[in-house]
Amino acid sequence: MKQKTDVKQGTLALMVLKTLEVLGPLHGYGIARRIEQISGELLSVNQGTLYPVLLRLEQEGAIESDWGASENNRRARYYHLTREGRRQLKSEVQGWNQTTEIIARFLSAKAENLS
Amino acid sequence: MRRIKRLWTRMLNVATRRTGDGRLREEMEEHVALQTEENIRAGMAEEEARRQAVLKLGSVEAVRESYHAEEGLPTIEAFLQDCRYALRMLRKSPVFSVVAIMTLALGIGANTAIFSIVNAVLLRPLPFPEPDRLVRISFNEPGLGLRDVPFSVPELDDLRNRAGVFSDVSTIASTSVNLTGTGHPERLEFMVTHPSYFSMLGVAPQIGRLFGPQDFALGFAPVAVISDGLWRRSFGADPKVIGRTVRLDNDPYTIVGVLPPGFRHPGPTVSGNVEVFQTAGFSGYPAPPPARSTRFMPASVGRLKPGISLAQAQARLTAMATQLRHDYATDYPAQDQWTIEIQPLQEALVGNVRPMLLVLLGAVILIVFVVSLNIANLLLARASGRQQEMAVRSALGASRGRLIRQMLTESMLLSFMGGVGGVLTTVGTIRFILRLVPSNIPRLNEVRTDGVVLTFALAISVLTGLAFGLAPALQSAKTALSSAIREGTRGAGWSAKTGRLRDALIVSELAFAVVLMVGAGLLLRTLHDLLQENPGFNPTQVVAANLPLPEPNDPKADPYLTVAQQTSFNRELLRRMRAIPGVELAAITSDLPTTDLRLNDAQSISALAIEDRPVESSLDLRAERIRISPDYFKVMQAPLLRGRFFNEGDEDSKQPVAIIDQTTTRKYWPTRDPLGRTLRFGQDPTTPWMTVVGIVKDIKNDGLDTDGVPHIYVPIYQSLDRDLSVVLRTSLPAKVLEPQIRHEIQSIDPGLPVFNVSSMNDVVDRSLASRRFSADLVGGFAGLALLLASFGIYGLLAYMVRQRSHEIGLRMALGARRWDVLKLILREGAVLAGVGIVAGVIVSAATTSMMASLLYGVHPHDLVVFLAVPLLLFVVAVLASYLPARRATQVDPLLALREV
Repeated sequence: MKQKTDVKQGTLALMVLKTLEVLGPLHGYGIARRIEQISGELLSVNQGTLYPVLLRLEQEGAIESDWGASENNRRARYYHLTREGRRQLKSEVQGWNQTTEIIARFLSAKAENLS
Repeated sequence: MRRIKRLWTRMLNVATRRTGDGRLREEMEEHVALQTEENIRAGMAEEEARRQAVLKLGSVEAVRESYHAEEGLPTIEAFLQDCRYALRMLRKSPVFSVVAIMTLALGIGANTAIFSIVNAVLLRPLPFPEPDRLVRISFNEPGLGLRDVPFSVPELDDLRNRAGVFSDVSTIASTSVNLTGTGHPERLEFMVTHPSYFSMLGVAPQIGRLFGPQDFALGFAPVAVISDGLWRRSFGADPKVIGRTVRLDNDPYTIVGVLPPGFRHPGPTVSGNVEVFQTAGFSGYPAPPPARSTRFMPASVGRLKPGISLAQAQARLTAMATQLRHDYATDYPAQDQWTIEIQPLQEALVGNVRPMLLVLLGAVILIVFVVSLNIANLLLARASGRQQEMAVRSALGASRGRLIRQMLTESMLLSFMGGVGGVLTTVGTIRFILRLVPSNIPRLNEVRTDGVVLTFALAISVLTGLAFGLAPALQSAKTALSSAIREGTRGAGWSAKTGRLRDALIVSELAFAVVLMVGAGLLLRTLHDLLQENPGFNPTQVVAANLPLPEPNDPKADPYLTVAQQTSFNRELLRRMRAIPGVELAAITSDLPTTDLRLNDAQSISALAIEDRPVESSLDLRAERIRISPDYFKVMQAPLLRGRFFNEGDEDSKQPVAIIDQTTTRKYWPTRDPLGRTLRFGQDPTTPWMTVVGIVKDIKNDGLDTDGVPHIYVPIYQSLDRDLSVVLRTSLPAKVLEPQIRHEIQSIDPGLPVFNVSSMNDVVDRSLASRRFSADLVGGFAGLALLLASFGIYGLLAYMVRQRSHEIGLRMALGARRWDVLKLILREGAVLAGVGIVAGVIVSAATTSMMASLLYGVHPHDLVVFLAVPLLLFVVAVLASYLPARRATQVDPLLALREV
């Protein structure tokens, strides 16, 4: 059970980083919305799980946060990517691509190719 | 890097108890607000929009929990929480906590203290560079049953030049010397070495220099190196001591260097640290001209060449010895089987104390077992009292692992506090403890509480914590939830399962106590037997003092060169001793009984020739030669069996005479009458024969625990030697006589040191110091084990009586008499004790043979000990069961039944 959440959390973290890279500083709700829009499944419920991931990324130094004003002029916490975060994103994207490529190749392999 | 950064933040958060709870709440509120607006815009009613928003966010509590877990370190926080809780629990039962911590501190402290000695003496490598290359070289003659026979200068040269396995070899000749010229004369432990001794060990001087090639001399080099201790004591740590001249046995020596404070000669010494070092080539005056058969050097150490293993070196030395035996057949009679053996220096150094230290270590480890079993039992009793608490916790969702962890935290905290207490006690008392340790144990000066010792103490604490914590923890976590809550309300009954576990604990505690007590019993019985042992003389009302004569290398500086000179000194000495008021009789001996001032048996026992025996069979004739003045046996009240004692007429110019003891008689004249027969020491045909004039009973000259050494007494007026002790028969205590003895002796020769003035009883007692130490220590531990075991059995039965009071009440209501109830409980105690004792006796019987080398005159399976110990423990156990049993008979059936 633990591992499952880890995988999910890892995916979620990567999505957060990518979202922030593409869209610039965003508050938690904004990030959740983007992720929901793009991935649908992952954050349509239990959006709260996003916040521990944000905290974790912040503790790792990948993102930073500041109070700012939201669209309706209330106080909201805005997250943005740090230099360290960009580096992390880059290497993680690379790793992710590699993994998917290998898995894809593996899944498409046929018996005659393996002999 | 990322992980470390994160860990750091989290640790900071835990330490400062900072939480982002407020921030999270605010963020989530904002989240919901934004989502609600979004939903309204999508056309929902306001209330429904908010509800959907909250649903989408998910469980706030779950998010908060995982947010908090990310924020801090949950394991550590739970641990700290457990610790706080455990501390509260310990404070709630202060008596239990104090008793537990104190017994633990005692057990762990004893372990730490003994281990710190074992570590310094047995485990830590010698404090020299590459200590594993240092070896002790010994020459043995297995054909004659002799070890460590002396060797000659050509043999030393063989080791240095021919063997090819040593980078260096040094002789070590340990003895003592009179130091004069520094105020009052002193007797010092002293050692003659090869000039390469210090460079071989790898020692650097504190000030000045140590020996080097420039000090090589055929005889003695006129230089001396002194210890740090002597430098501080006799020279006030004066740096100008370098270049000063001191007189050692009347010969002048220039001090060239002072050794560093920690230096101790890595070998057996007569009485303690070597304080003066000299160097000699042993091949010129005063040594005899070098010849292969002139063997007088006592011992040697060497450093193996790099790259040569011990086994390789031994093989090459064995080959060399074979070659030498072949080349010099006359010097190495075939039946002697002369050979060379090497042994790591560290092993050689501690060989004879290893069994004693290991037995002590075994005893302290046993006591820790007993202590932790005792505490396990107490904890188990408490755990049954806490079943309800555990049940509630687990009903509220605590997992079994979590409960075990909490219980273990409690016991670990306990053992850790005990461990800290133990280490502090050890650090505080180790100096005192070391004073009780017999000084013949080498390397005691290296004892300290270092990292290894602390690690050991920590390991012992953790292990004991686990040992006594695990059983109760598992037990309480296993308790079935529903039944516990139900039982809890009714005063939990006596559960058979907990009962069995507690029985097992108490049985093993008793078994360990038996093992300890049997070990202690054997040691104490050995000591007791030795004290009862007839030493062959009457030590009461005898005062002894040592006054060794100097042995200068320069004959002109020697006032004791000839028999005539020594005789006139001895006569004057005896005249003055007899004149001291209160002294009835006075005598001189070269060898005070039960003191062994010589290190090497092979060397104190001289070769012997007997006139009417063929020469070829005379090689294994050996006896210890003791020089005495005429009244010696009268002072010692040693009985004459036949013939006569010596008298003043047995002088230099008269017929040489000798008195032999029973062992000599048995060994060399088993069938014939030795009186009137002749013998002599050494193989020199010009030595005159001595006639046997008397036979005395055996005297335990070499210690109460040494038998079978033949002794031959010769008149002090007919022989030369420098080792002297006076023995006085007097009713005055040694302390009163000491100043007069010293004054009289130093009126004859102010340069003579007088030391060890003590009653003969004390002398005999001192010879047992190391046995007494181990017997007392193990005995003390055994007493403690007995006490703890009786507490244990008492506690168990008292608890059982409390738990079963309902049942007992029922029995009484149904007609059981007080005696039946008493029997019921007593039987329980007796059965437990019986099983534990039988188990302990079996373990003891299997293990005591390991301590055989510490026993004398007592078999490792001594029947008295193996009967007395179980009996004693059984009686104590039954007595301990009696108190709870009596309480059981006082149960009021009415009350007990109504409680249900």
